[in-house]
Parts: sequence; structure tokens; C-alpha cells
Amino acid sequence: MSHVKLLLVDDEERFLSTTRILLEKRHVENIKTATNGADALKILRKERIDVVVLDVRMPGMDGVEVLRRVKQEHPLVEVIMLTGHAAVESAVEGLKLGAFDYVMKPIDIPDLLVKIEEAYGKKKAHDEKIRAAKVSEIISHPMAVFSDNQED
Amino acid sequence: MQPEEKERDRQRFKGIRRMILVRVLLLPFLIVMVVFGTVIYYFGTNLKSRVFSELVLIAGDHRRLIEQFLGERVANLKFAAAAYGIDEFEGDERLSQVLRDLQESSRAFFDLGVFDEQGNHVAYAGPYDLKGKNYAESEWFRAVRERGVYISDVFLGYRKFPHFVIAVKRKNGPSASYLRATIDTQFFNDLVESVRVGRTGEAYLVNGSGMLQTRRRSGGALMDVDPDHGLYRSAESEIFSFVARDRTGIRYVNATGKLPLTTDWLLVVRQETREAYAPLYRVWVIGTAMILAGGGLVVLMAFLLASSQARQLVLSAREKRQLGNQLIMAGKFAELGEMSVGIAHEINNPLQVIKAEQTLMSDLLGEVESAEGVDKTSVEMIRDSIRQVGIQIDRCKQITQGLLSFARKSDAVLKPIDLASFLPEMVRMVEQKARLENVSILHEVDPELPHLSSDPTQLQQVMLNLLNNALYALRKRENGEIRIAASREDGSLDISVADNGCGIDPEIMDKIFLPFFTTKPVGQGTGLGLSTIYGIVERLGGRILVNSEENVGTVFTVRLPLPATT
Repeated sequence: MSHVKLLLVDDEERFLSTTRILLEKRHVENIKTATNGADALKILRKERIDVVVLDVRMPGMDGVEVLRRVKQEHPLVEVIMLTGHAAVESAVEGLKLGAFDYVMKPIDIPDLLVKIEEAYGKKKAHDEKIRAAKVSEIISHPMAVFSDNQED
Repeated sequence: MQPEEKERDRQRFKGIRRMILVRVLLLPFLIVMVVFGTVIYYFGTNLKSRVFSELVLIAGDHRRLIEQFLGERVANLKFAAAAYGIDEFEGDERLSQVLRDLQESSRAFFDLGVFDEQGNHVAYAGPYDLKGKNYAESEWFRAVRERGVYISDVFLGYRKFPHFVIAVKRKNGPSASYLRATIDTQFFNDLVESVRVGRTGEAYLVNGSGMLQTRRRSGGALMDVDPDHGLYRSAESEIFSFVARDRTGIRYVNATGKLPLTTDWLLVVRQETREAYAPLYRVWVIGTAMILAGGGLVVLMAFLLASSQARQLVLSAREKRQLGNQLIMAGKFAELGEMSVGIAHEINNPLQVIKAEQTLMSDLLGEVESAEGVDKTSVEMIRDSIRQVGIQIDRCKQITQGLLSFARKSDAVLKPIDLASFLPEMVRMVEQKARLENVSILHEVDPELPHLSSDPTQLQQVMLNLLNNALYALRKRENGEIRIAASREDGSLDISVADNGCGIDPEIMDKIFLPFFTTKPVGQGTGLGLSTIYGIVERLGGRILVNSEENVGTVFTVRLPLPATT
């Protein structure tokens, strides 16, 4: 578990800090936080992030919009939506846009942890496949590494 | 419905009915009356003028007849007087012969007398002994001396019996003699009376002073004075007709005309108006009866029509009012929905922070507890407190979830639903709970029912909510029973959930669908159940109906539209 790189996005700062402590106590070490969508996107561009926990309702850019951008820029990053209500349109829309799952507010830490775990598992499996594909590509075309390394 | 509202509806009904009645009946009634009046008027005028002219005609003919009779009698006498000299009559024997001759030409001659210049009765033929009497002072004698021919009024004379005479003068050089005949009263009466107009028609003669010259059938003997003679009008030869009421109060149609030859006799032919106008009265009676009967029928029909129209109008007014109420309700719901969403989300955020803090506290407490020198009971109390905070957070969560589902406007995903399998499935979901509460659930669903086209998930929410409410109404009751039934109405399906539980207090009946209205104790219900399913059923195009009686039970009926094709 512990190795997941997590980004929490919510407009409530206190929620971010407390949740960070709670997760750290449960051995989730690499946690970044952002209070709005723009900051979240900036962090995503700078850091390597595995899973994003994203509030749907935020001032400014809302969760669905952030999700769309995240998926556009980083298709491999898994996103868990925080929603006020199950089966609300935005959550459904989120799933359609490629969110991994959604959690209902107010969240239960153990529940959230399970979802993060699952998302990270999926991400890892994905990464593994890609790495395997790359390795086989490098083996077959070693020179391609130099011409095609703009992607991480 | 409230009693005062019922009363108001009743008043409105009466008002509308009266208005329709007046408008529907007044104009036709006036028209019919005008038509009827006009017909009666023209018919009446026509009939009256016909009655008048007929009577005038009869009177004219009759006058001619009487005139002719009198003229002939005068001519007979003149002839007799001219044929025989006065001296020739001197012998009674001879005069009797003349009388017999006269009687041969008319039986009206009763007796015959001859008078000299001085009025001495010189010869007589007839049943009385009048010879030798002097008539110089008699009115008739004076008149005949002057005029040559005279027809007298009826008088008593020496015989003390009403009669009238015709006298003629015969010139013998310087002197003159007079021949006088008495006319048989009976014969003359019969002649005058012989007019028959209907049953009450009659003819008679009066003289200038109103004395009856012939008998009158309707009462009045010879020589009686007719009390009504003042009414009779006459001119030279014309015949007048008029309507007048006589002394006895009977109205007559009269035709009067002067008789020439006589001094001032007047022929009166008259008939009671009652008889003369009988056709008019008949028409009037028949017409009135028809108008009354027809009018009664029309009034009855109009009354029925107006009643049904008024009922319809009142009903539609009531429906409109109810629709208005429903619209207001729907408006309220929409507003409430928007507000609820806002509130729920706003509360959710702080709630999330609280929840996180609560989890943190609980975590930290675990660490603190393991440290040494800590009071175990205090830790236990803090833990209990933290747990309570968790419980209250969950309660808030329930409320916000309720609010959000109340306001949810997700589109219905329509699928065919077979109630015969759908409803038993709903029952299975609450069966466990029902068994614990000792409630039996019966369902009677006709397997032949057409399939509904509706959203199964939302309908499930509705059914579960109603079933849970029914179970709640049956808690701590014996013989609790819930009956689920589905039946087809036209164009819709009714699903009813009936319980024999505590029922709904009529006072709160109009509030049960309002959000946050609940009868459950604090913390056990959000008051959003019925308002949510109300919204769902409305969105599915249906209606929820409630029928409840306190301590007898409640029936909730969900009426859903059937697809148009079935």
C-alpha cells in the first residue's frame, strides 16, 4: 500500500490536513494536497501521482471539469470522486469520463482507504503492462529510446 | 373537503342554476307569450266581428220578415176596406165573412171591427162583445184618423188582455170609416220569436218606452218594461250591434234595428256572449292548457339541464381550484427541492470535516490509551462521546442524503414492469422485518394485468417507502395486516398498499407530503419519505391518493399511467 502517491483535492483546508494525518497514520506516506482544480493540475504536471481524490463540488473549476483535464493530460492517473450523493448526475458523469469510483460524503476513512487501494492496484497493473511493453520495445528497437523519450 | 367550502359550492351551484334558468327560460317564455297573445287577439277580434256581422245579418233578415208580415196585414186590411164600403160591413154577418176571408190569407187576424167617424164601434166580428163602445178617445183611433194607417203598441184595451191592432181609414166622400183588426198575439209572438241563434239566442220587440211588445224567452212577459232598453241604440234603418251587460249581469251580443211601419218598435236579437264567443273561449282554454303543460315540461327540462350544467361548472371550478392547489404544491416542491440541494451540499462539507476530525480523535485516543498513567474511565467516557459524535454525524448524513434524493431530478429510465412479479419481489424485501413485527403481508395481483412502462428503481423506492410506512403504522399491534393490490382503471394502473394500523389524523392529512413533516420521534425519521416518493410518482406521470381513517387503517394508492398502446 504505502507506496501510493496520492493527491487530495478539496476546498476545505482543514479537511485536507486532517485527512492527510489520518491517512499517514494508516501508512499512506506520499500525500499532496490542493485546494482547487488549478493547483491540482499544476501538482500533477510536476509530480508523479498515482491516485487523485477529487471533490465534485468546488468553487471555480468544479470536480468534473478537473477530472476531464486530468484524464486528458494524464490518462493513467486514477481518480476517485467525492460526491454529496450517490448516483447524482455528476458522479455518473464522472464515471463516464473515466473516474475510477466515487465515495459519498461525509467519507469514512476505512472505506476511502479500500478505494485508494483498489485504484492504486489498477494503476500499478496498468503501469506494469506499459513498462513490459516498453521493455519489449526497447529490446526490439533499442535506438527508439533516444528518439521517443519525451514521455516519462 | 371543508364544510364551509361545500356550502360555498352549494351556493355557487344555486346561483349558476338560477342564472341559466333565467337566461334559458325568460326569452322563450316572453316570445311564446307574445305569440300566444297575438294569436288570441287576432282570433278573438276576427271571431267577434264574425259573430257581430252574423247577428246583424240575422237581425236584418228577421226585421224584413216581420216588416213583410206587417206590410201584408196592412195591405189585406186596405184591400178589405176598399173592396167593401162601410155600409156593407154593417151587418155583422157580412163582417164575419170578411174576417173569414182575411183569416184565409193569414191566421194572424183575430177579430175585425168597423168604426164610424165618431169612433163608435158599429160592427164587430170576433169572440168579444165590443159593439157599441166608443173609441174616440183611444190612442189608436186618434192616430189612424190622422195617418190613415196605424199599427198600435200592445195594450190592454176593453178586453183587459194584451194585444195590438192594425187600423186603416177608408174615405167615403166627406166622411170616413175605419177598419180595425186585432192581431193574434200568440201568432205574432211565434213569428218574432222564431229566430234561433244557438241555445241562448232570442229575438223580441220593444217600443220606444222600453215596453216589451213580444214575449222574451230569457224572461219578460208582454208589456213588461225591459229594464235594459236604455242600452239599445237605433237609427233610421241601420242595424247596430254591440256587447252589453244586462241587469242580471249576463253579457249579451246585441243587434238592434227599428221596425218601419210601426211607430217606434225596435227589434232586438241577442245572444249570450258566453255562447257566442264559445269557440274563442275554447281556443283560449286549449291554448292556455297547452302553454301550461308545454311550459311546465320546458321548465322541468330547463331545470334539469340547468342543474346538470351548473353541477358541471361547479365541478370544473372545483377541479380548477384543486389543480391550482396542485400547481402551488408543485411550485413549492420545486423551490424546496432547489433549496434542499443547496442546504444538503453546504452541510455536507462541514460534516465531512467533522467526520474527519472525529476519526482522528478516535485514532489519537487509541494511542493515548496505550500510554501509561491514563485514567481508563475518562478514556472510556471520551470514547463514548466520540462514538456519539459519529452517530450524530450519521444522522446528519441521513438527512442530507434524504434531502438530495428528495430533490433529485434524474430522468426516469422507462422499462416494462410486470407487477405480477415486481410486487412480490418488493414484499420479499420487507418480509423479514414484517415477520419480526408480526405483520402478515397479502398481495393480490391479477396476472393478466398489462405491463407498466416505468422506472423500476424509482418505483421500488416508492413501494418500499409505502411498505415501511405501513409497517410503522402497524408496530406493536396484533393482527397487523398489509394488503397490496393492483388493478386496472381506465388508462391507468392502481397499486394500493393498505394497512389496518393507526391511520392518519385528519388534521395532519394535508401536511403528510410536505418535506420534513414526520410523526416519528426525533431521530427516527427525516420526514422526507413521502415527499420524495410524491415527487417520484409525479415525475412518472402518476398520482398518489390517500384514504385514511384513524385507528382503522390507511390506504395509499399509486396511480400510474398505462402506455397508450395497451
